[in-house]
Amino acid sequence: MTAQILTVDDSASVRMTTRMALTRAGFSVVEAVDGVDGLTKAKTKRFDAIITDLNMPNMDGLKMIEEMRRLPNQLGVPILFLTTESDAGLKTRAKSAGATAWLTKPFEPDQLVKLVTRVLAR
Amino acid sequence: MMSNLASEHSNPPWREDGELEALTFDIAGETFALEAAIVREILDLLPETAVPGARAFVGSVVNFRGKVIPLADIRLAFGMPSAEVTIDSRIVVVEVDIEGTPTLVGLRTDKVTEVLTLKKSDSEPPPRVGMRWPTELIECLIKRGSSVIIFPDLKAIFAANSRKPAAEAEVIRHPKS
Amino acid sequence: MSTIDPLDIFRAEAAELLEQIEQGLLDLEHRLDDRALIDSVFRGLHTLKGSGAMFGFDALAAFTHHCETAFDRVRKGLAPATTDLVMAVLAARDHMRALVEDPAGDYGATGAALLKQLQDAVDGGSGRTEPTAAIDQPETIPAAGAVASTAGDAADKSQMRRWRIRFSLPPDTLFNGTNPLALLDEMRDLGDAEIQVDTSNVPPLDAIKPTDLYLSWVVMLTTDRPRADIEDVFIFVMDEMSLNIEELGPFDPAEPILAWTPAEAVATPAVAAGRMAEPALPPATHAAEKPVHAATGTSQRSEVADSMARRKAESVRVPAERLDELMDRVGELVIAQSRLTQIAASSLDAQLRTVSEEMERLCSELRTTMMVLRMVPVGTLFERFRRLVHDLQRDTGKTIELVTAGETTEMDKTVIERLADPLVHLVRNAADHGLESPEGRHAAGKSEIGRVTLSARQVGGEVIVTIADDGRGIDRDKIRAKAESSGLIPVGAVMSDQEVLQLILQPGFSTAATVTNLSGRGVGMDVVKKTIDSLRGTIDISTRLGEGTTIALRIPLTLAIIDGLLVRVGKGRYVIPLPAVEECLELSLEEDLRSRGRSFLSLRGSLVPFIRLREIFSTGSKPDPYQKIVVVSTGEDRVGLVVDQIIGDHQTVIKSMSKLHDDVSTFSGATILGDGGVALILDVANLVAAGREQEAQLRATA
Repeated sequence: MTAQILTVDDSASVRMTTRMALTRAGFSVVEAVDGVDGLTKAKTKRFDAIITDLNMPNMDGLKMIEEMRRLPNQLGVPILFLTTESDAGLKTRAKSAGATAWLTKPFEPDQLVKLVTRVLAR
Repeated sequence: MMSNLASEHSNPPWREDGELEALTFDIAGETFALEAAIVREILDLLPETAVPGARAFVGSVVNFRGKVIPLADIRLAFGMPSAEVTIDSRIVVVEVDIEGTPTLVGLRTDKVTEVLTLKKSDSEPPPRVGMRWPTELIECLIKRGSSVIIFPDLKAIFAANSRKPAAEAEVIRHPKS
Repeated sequence: MSTIDPLDIFRAEAAELLEQIEQGLLDLEHRLDDRALIDSVFRGLHTLKGSGAMFGFDALAAFTHHCETAFDRVRKGLAPATTDLVMAVLAARDHMRALVEDPAGDYGATGAALLKQLQDAVDGGSGRTEPTAAIDQPETIPAAGAVASTAGDAADKSQMRRWRIRFSLPPDTLFNGTNPLALLDEMRDLGDAEIQVDTSNVPPLDAIKPTDLYLSWVVMLTTDRPRADIEDVFIFVMDEMSLNIEELGPFDPAEPILAWTPAEAVATPAVAAGRMAEPALPPATHAAEKPVHAATGTSQRSEVADSMARRKAESVRVPAERLDELMDRVGELVIAQSRLTQIAASSLDAQLRTVSEEMERLCSELRTTMMVLRMVPVGTLFERFRRLVHDLQRDTGKTIELVTAGETTEMDKTVIERLADPLVHLVRNAADHGLESPEGRHAAGKSEIGRVTLSARQVGGEVIVTIADDGRGIDRDKIRAKAESSGLIPVGAVMSDQEVLQLILQPGFSTAATVTNLSGRGVGMDVVKKTIDSLRGTIDISTRLGEGTTIALRIPLTLAIIDGLLVRVGKGRYVIPLPAVEECLELSLEEDLRSRGRSFLSLRGSLVPFIRLREIFSTGSKPDPYQKIVVVSTGEDRVGLVVDQIIGDHQTVIKSMSKLHDDVSTFSGATILGDGGVALILDVANLVAAGREQEAQLRATA
């Protein structure tokens, strides 16, 4: 069946862009509005990949990634994060928290699709 | 750079490799397909509540997990008579975009068959003549062996039927004496 | 599959962010050391910049970047928050809004001037001369995916080269979602790849952790791609892994592709493995330690942040949509509960009945609690008006004092959001038309400071929001004259004062002699009325010439739940909102027969039109022998609804109908009943209007 992707972002427009790009590429997309929401949704089902913003209210992306890595049902799921910082420190922290890959904003929809396809197990 | 996304989408939404996961189902002896990505659930029949004054093809609503969702009958949208339900009848719940709002709609089907991978190379536009279905409500036909699968244009179906029914004007009328 | 333009979503989102930023700044002005506010402003600016860049608002992104950087420094404790900084960013906010609305606009030196103000604020605040600390150019780093496409130019393309790539990945690689096989596939995509796996680090079976990675690889790659492309394969794991890329020289087509293989593989596997593992192992161990260390650091940090947050905030922010989900779940629970109640009622099992009653009580409490959760103080709405009044003073040249009261009054969040636009219009109106000029006030013997009062209070199931001004008041005669001249009312019509005042709510009505800049904007009074109607509220207007005008909006507390009367018509069940129900009467068979052909009912001396729901719903069934008439009203007008049976009171969780039923105006929504069935909610206003029409038709034919 279609690969299911969870996209976590407090920005509705970014979620929308992500959803449209991925849906067009044949993925099915579930949205979450912040870390807490994302974690809740990750608890209920396994996703094929998770895309998250880092800077979010309630629970930031770093904390959420850490928590997700403790969930048995998301074992080994690729977690991609979106970042606007050129700050290498944040990238390292996200990787340490358990993230798989990243994409720098602004990005073109095709880049996102390419990256998602890239990290999904073939 | 993003603004053209919405208009540029193709339907059926073939993947880059020209394939598409689709759910197939039967209505009136024909096989239909819809992209699997929009299918939320397949349900046994549910108790229906008629909506007086609504267009016949969306004449009722059902309780879908605590949400009240419309039930659409493609037969009626295509101008065919409605049919008796059978043991195989199912409701396919899909999420479609109606005037910018993602909307859950139940579709009445005679039978749900399978999930298939369809190929764009097997598809062709509906012929102008010789169809018993209105071609403007059909996205394309997909050949599969000796049979043909119909890919309906849900957007067109929901839009084509969005004309205000004449019935609305006469909803309130004098009782005939 | 969607017709929504992400640009529109971005614009709406940007407007919200700007509001959040502005509100944060206004509050920050009074509490300069409030970390939560600083974070909120920073996050707003950050998201605005990020999303702006996503959607091609480059000027916005570049400009906002400066404000963000300044706040980032404050957030990190590198600089204090100062009034100057707050004022500078507050001043910049209008420019950001303009850049959202018209990115291509010509703003002359506005941007530069604002940045100068910001720079001065930053310099002043840090007390250092470090002019470029905050105001630097936004750094752009290419997106990961772009690396591969641009790097290709670096090397001579046509030249095939051979590479030896040794790599090992940290043990938690699989756990963290990277698939090494995908990396190997990517290398195969670059050219001809011969891959050897080193299994020497695989422990005995009983020591294997299934999620750990024990393998490392050597790849002989023949490709015309540059080194950067090979490195790009590992871009996401580069920092944690050990990677050794060796160029073996140009590829000689004369040499068999596999020629290297015997040379490399000639040693026994054990030796080969040992040789390969040696350089790979220590860095791998090192890499494995580093993330652990870093992870510990991160969690410590977030713990500190957590406890800080706990001390700061006594409340939890929950996205509204999750509350809606919870509301749905509670609705389902209530439905399941009423099914249980039915079963228990017909059972003789006393224990079951006790449990069922207990459950019923808990459900009802849960529902009440749920409703309270959706309530937010109107103060959140009132706060927005400080800025509005500030701007209005500037635009009108009047001195205006905004007084607010009852900020703690709570209402459903959705209601509050929908009240925002009408209130903006009413406050604008009060300032623009209501209040006199300072000279005018002076002449009238009033204080030159005009006063606009916004207040809220709860009365029963309603909240009354009042907008009052101490201005010139509304001249009824002028309204009358205007309405007569524009044909809204017949000349000399007998009307009560309130009816005359209500005329200003009619579409197209405006008493302003000159349409000012202010009143020309936004929604008209008719739109205010429409919004209030849609909230099932009412508008009361009272005014005294020379003393001022008060507009009171009476709004039901919540939209989500109403009390309803459940009735049956044919086989269908319908809900009539209880507040609209005046009385229920019986329609005996003979009365029914007698009233055939006319659809009026004599109710205490007045004629009330009635509507046989069975007929308009085309039930096709026989009427019950004792039909009922439910008399409903909206203020003045009444209509009787003939139903087959009145089932009883029913607390109703309102579900909206989908767009596919937009054309059905008889119903305002739907609800789910105890047995899981659906009942439609009758739109009383619509039915009353239909009754009125019926009456008019009858009068015309009489």
